[in-house]
Amino acid sequence: MRDECRGYRAEGPCCRPAGGLSLSRRRRAVGAPRIVPGQRASPRDRLRSGAGTVIGMPNVIETTALTRSYGSRRGILDVEFSIAEGEVFGFLGPNGAGKTTTIRLLAGAIRPTSGSARIFGLDTWARAPQVHHFMAYLPSDPGYLGELTAAEQLDYLATLRGLARGAWRPVAERLELDPTVQVRRLSRGNRQKVAVVQVFMGQEPLLVMDEPTSGLDPLMQREFLGLVAEARGAGRTVFLSSHNLPEVERSCDRVAVIREGRVVDISPVQALLGEHWRSVNLVLAAPAPPGTFDLPNVRVLADGTRDAHLMVMGDVNPLLRRIAGLEVRDIAIATPDIEDVFMRFYGAGAPADRPAVEAAP
Amino acid sequence: MIASVLRLELRRSRSLLGWLALTSILYTGFITFYYPIIKQNQATLDAMLKLWPKEMQAAFSIMGNLTDVGTFFNVYVFLMIWPIVAAIGGILMATRAVAADLDRGFLELPLATRISRPAYLATSIAGQAIGMGLLVAATIATILVSGLVIGESWDTGRFLLAGCVILAFGWAIEAVTTLLAVATLSRGRAGGVMAGILVGMYLLQTLARIDPHLDALSYLSAFHYLDTGPLVNAGVFPAEGLTVLGAAAIGGWLASVWAFRRRDLLA
Repeated sequence: MRDECRGYRAEGPCCRPAGGLSLSRRRRAVGAPRIVPGQRASPRDRLRSGAGTVIGMPNVIETTALTRSYGSRRGILDVEFSIAEGEVFGFLGPNGAGKTTTIRLLAGAIRPTSGSARIFGLDTWARAPQVHHFMAYLPSDPGYLGELTAAEQLDYLATLRGLARGAWRPVAERLELDPTVQVRRLSRGNRQKVAVVQVFMGQEPLLVMDEPTSGLDPLMQREFLGLVAEARGAGRTVFLSSHNLPEVERSCDRVAVIREGRVVDISPVQALLGEHWRSVNLVLAAPAPPGTFDLPNVRVLADGTRDAHLMVMGDVNPLLRRIAGLEVRDIAIATPDIEDVFMRFYGAGAPADRPAVEAAP
Repeated sequence: MIASVLRLELRRSRSLLGWLALTSILYTGFITFYYPIIKQNQATLDAMLKLWPKEMQAAFSIMGNLTDVGTFFNVYVFLMIWPIVAAIGGILMATRAVAADLDRGFLELPLATRISRPAYLATSIAGQAIGMGLLVAATIATILVSGLVIGESWDTGRFLLAGCVILAFGWAIEAVTTLLAVATLSRGRAGGVMAGILVGMYLLQTLARIDPHLDALSYLSAFHYLDTGPLVNAGVFPAEGLTVLGAAAIGGWLASVWAFRRRDLLA
């Protein structure tokens, strides 16, 4: 048990639940930043690599060869990733890829067939009640009790999480949720608002969400992204699964792509996007001198007298430096969205059995 | 935390308990008002029962003199309406917390909070137990109040003890159903199996009454331990009934909590 709690044990019985040693005390004991509700993390705490991983911080989530099979049905196989404190981690994959299975394993709802998942150093299955002290969880398609109002439902869950009744009100107001309506009378989108309010109403250091914006309109999706950004600003760690690619692109530091139960890629979002072509359309005041666009990562698709269509792979700075010497009337750079990236793993010839290599943050 | 779970459990049972209590009150009150008529027509009734096949009498638990208050309520309430009320209430309440809530996607929400699985299920069980207690209270109170209305002065203590026996019967149903719900995680399967077990036990009891050679079979039936006739008629303490039904209830619930601790919640 002591080994399970390494890095988090300060004094007294290891893994003591509520009423015992708080997470913030455990963190201070090992020199980790303290997360106080409403207080933003210090710049030192926010020291990050380009991928957004906090340097020198212990991993909040760590899975090792995590496998879950359902008899003849495929579940997930050898899923490995680690998420640092303060990181927003996206988990991408289509329906049936294994996202929900992975998240339910993290939530301690189901038992791994082999391998392990640890949150704050605690095994998510064997130590589920302790893990839940530090985690706010939003399952996929939660079934709220139709006979209760949203307020009653949220108060109930707030109490079970050790929060004050009404702790959900600020978030509910932001999401324009009417808490007085019975859940059975709410639309799907409004029910999803209840779910989002529920997960953000506390100050747990880890948020785990399974398709949190499913059913939300674009305005509320934007509000959701704001909530995620604030959580990150407060030093909280966020794990969210989605097949809403722009949402992941906007909110996440790193992304894992899961395909047929296996993680096929883990990369910082920017690196994932940087590996792809960008389309650059230029309108110039005068024709560009010959060889202007001769760069190793640039392909000239069309070069008219005063307009050019180029494709750039990766770093655009060398090209921009060349363009800076020209008189440009108009320029349009279309970046690939993460959907293009995602399709790479699902298109013909996709690397189904390629083991995932976790990109160094 | 525990109080919130218990409050919600009871709140969710309100409607079910209300309708079942109303059913029990109306039926039991109606039957109690028949008791003086049965007493006044004892000779006619005896003559009629002599014409009835003994198998028929066994099937309807008519064992003894119907003018004896204990036999009367045993036949018409405790072994007739009560098993139906207890089965409906017990099965619906006991399959809700785990199986039905998992199916509707609710269970993961409270279980992902600070409350542990054993505490959550134990609190839900407390809610079931209280709910069954309310149904018993409604039934016994109806008998006693209706008795006063028709001018009968029955032994309140014996009826309260009979209430304990039928409560233990209801709790045993709830406990075994909870265990089945944890094992199967399916409200349909758990409820169906429990209903089948009850029907099977009723048949065993009936067979044992018809054929003395099969008497041992009756010990396998919960209905054998639900017999409150000797208690109400003669004040015989129902030690066997309370012990067996109570043990089934406590054992079933403890096993449920133990199994739920490590149950894979595959929706």
